[in-house]
Amino acid sequence: MKSAYFSNRALKAFNRMGDVLLPKNGQFPSFSEFGGIEHIDDLVQYAPKGDIKDLNLLMTILSFMPTFVIRWLVNKMQNAGNMGNGGVGTLFRMLNFGIRGLIFSCYYTENAGSTYQGERPIDLVGYDVKRV
Amino acid sequence: MIEYLIIGSGPGGAPIGYYLAKNGADCLILEAGEHLTKDTFPKTEAKSSAQLYWGGGIEFNKTAKMAFLRAKVVGGTSIVNQCLLDRFDDIAWNDWKADSGVDYFNKEEMTPYYEKVEELIDLYTFKPEERNGNAKIFTETCDKLGYGWKYLTRGQNDCGREQGNDCIGCLGGCQRDSKQSTLATYIQKGIKDYGLKIQANTYVEKIEHKGDHTVVYAASNGKQEIFKAKNLILAGGAFGTTELLYKSGFKDKFPALGKYFSSHPQFMSFGLQEEPVLAHKGYFQTAASHDDNFRAQGFKLENVYAPPISTAMLFGFSGKDHQNAMKKYPYYNCMEVAIRDENIGEIKVTKKGKLVVDKPLTKQDEERRDKGLKVIDNILTTSGAKEIIASPFYFGLHLMGGCVMGVDEKKSVVAPDFKLHGYDNIYVADSSIFPNAPGINPSFTIMALSEKLNEQLN
Repeated sequence: MKSAYFSNRALKAFNRMGDVLLPKNGQFPSFSEFGGIEHIDDLVQYAPKGDIKDLNLLMTILSFMPTFVIRWLVNKMQNAGNMGNGGVGTLFRMLNFGIRGLIFSCYYTENAGSTYQGERPIDLVGYDVKRV
Repeated sequence: MIEYLIIGSGPGGAPIGYYLAKNGADCLILEAGEHLTKDTFPKTEAKSSAQLYWGGGIEFNKTAKMAFLRAKVVGGTSIVNQCLLDRFDDIAWNDWKADSGVDYFNKEEMTPYYEKVEELIDLYTFKPEERNGNAKIFTETCDKLGYGWKYLTRGQNDCGREQGNDCIGCLGGCQRDSKQSTLATYIQKGIKDYGLKIQANTYVEKIEHKGDHTVVYAASNGKQEIFKAKNLILAGGAFGTTELLYKSGFKDKFPALGKYFSSHPQFMSFGLQEEPVLAHKGYFQTAASHDDNFRAQGFKLENVYAPPISTAMLFGFSGKDHQNAMKKYPYYNCMEVAIRDENIGEIKVTKKGKLVVDKPLTKQDEERRDKGLKVIDNILTTSGAKEIIASPFYFGLHLMGGCVMGVDEKKSVVAPDFKLHGYDNIYVADSSIFPNAPGINPSFTIMALSEKLNEQLN
C-alpha cells in the first residue's frame, strides 16, 4: 500500500505497534492482519500537516527499533497519565492520544484491508447501529 | 464593503446571520469548516472524528492531560453535540452577574430571548418509554438511592425511533436533520427563505480595525482573501475568537484577553452488567441528574455512551485484555460526571502563532470530580455492575471564556452591549464571552444571547 503522508517504513511501524496494542486474539484479528491501515490517509488528511510530518518521522525512526522498544514506548504512553506536567510526560500523553487514536480508528472501523476476509472488529464488539 | 460580516456559523453566529438576512441586511457568514449536509456527513465514527473537528480529531491543554473537542464544520458545535437545551438557573445567572456586573444576567430579563430561540428550534422532552437500557439503569438506580434526575429536553423533531433509528450516529452529524443544529434550523432556513450567504472553508487569520470598518484577512480554499466589513461579529467560539483577537494584536488593548477559560471537564465510567444493556441503541441520551445537592457541590451526572473507537480510547489499556473488554461493548452501562470548574484557564497564542491552552484542574475541581465519581461508583455498584472501568482520560467539551463580558475594562474584553470595549463596530457573540462556568449546557444560552444582540442589530 501507498500513503501520501507516511513512508513505507512508518506504515510498517504502525503495523508493529498496532500488533502490540491489538494482537491476534481468538476471533479478533491482529491489527496488521485486519489491514485498516490502508485507509489511514482518509483520516489524517484533516490533521495539521506539521503534526503528521512529525509523526511520520517518529514512526519511520521507530521502524528501525526492535519490538521491545516499541513495547516500552507503548507502556510509557499508556502510563503517562500521572507523569509530570510538561516535558516527557506531555510528549508521551500526546503520543498516546495521537498514535493510539489512529490505530484504534483503523481497527474498530467499517473499512478493512483489501485482502482481509474475516469478521471485522466493529462487528465482533456488537456495534449494530441502524441509521434510518 | 459588507455591512455585516460574521465569523463562525455555530450557536453564536447562525442566529445573527439568520435575522440579518431576514431583515434584508447585507450579510455574510464565514466558516472555517466544510459545508456538509445530512446527505454528506461522514458515515463512520473514524471519518467523523477526523473530518468534523479542529486538529483532525482532538486538541489538548498545555500538559496534554485534558483533551478538547472543537467542531470545524458549518453549524459548529451544534453538529456534533447532543443538542441538549437547558436554560440557566438562578445560580448560574447570579454568579455571572457577580463576576461581570452585567445587569441583564438574570432569569427574568433573559427569558424572552430563550423564547425567541424556541420560535425556530423544536424542543422535545423525553418520555419514560423512550429510555434505552442505559437510561433505565441510571434512572431506576438513582430512584433507589434517592438521587434526583430528570428527562432531558433536546432540540429534535423526528428522530425515527419507531423505524429503529439509533441516535448515537448523530454525534457525527444528524442524517435526518432532526437534531436542531444551527445548520438544520437557522442556516438552512436562512438560505432558503432569505438568501442568507455563507462561505465555508474560509479561515480568518487576522483582522485590522480601521475606524469605520474592519479589514478581515482570510485563507479560503488555499487562497488569500480580504474582506472589508462595516460591522464585524466574532462568533468563532472560545478558542477561535480569542485566537483571532490575539493574532490581531488585541492582547495589548485587553489584559483580560484569553483569561477566565473554563470547560466543564467530564470524566466517564463504565459498568459491566450481566445482561446486554445496548447503550448504543435507540435514543442516545434521555436522562441526567437533577439534584440540588449535586448542584450545590458543583457537579452533574450525564447518562451517556460512546461509539467503539471512542470507547476503546477511553478504556485506556490495550492488548488482549482490551479486546476482551471491547467484546463486552453491548453489556456496559455508562455515565459521566461533568464538573462546574473554576475559570482559571488561559488561552494564549505563542510568538509562532500556536494556540496554547493552560487549563489545570484546581483543588476545588478535583474535589468536585472525586465527589461526582463517588456517586457514579455508588450508582454502578448498586446497579449490579460486575466490574467498573473509570476512564483515565478527561475532556472539555464546553469551551467558555477568553473574551469575557463585563463592565470593567481591565477584567473583561466585551462590554454588555456585545461590543469590544472601546470599539463601535466589532461585536462578540459566542461562548468566549461567558464570565464563568455555569455548570449547565451552554448552547441554549449562547443562542439566547445572540438573540439579544439581534434585538440591538435589527
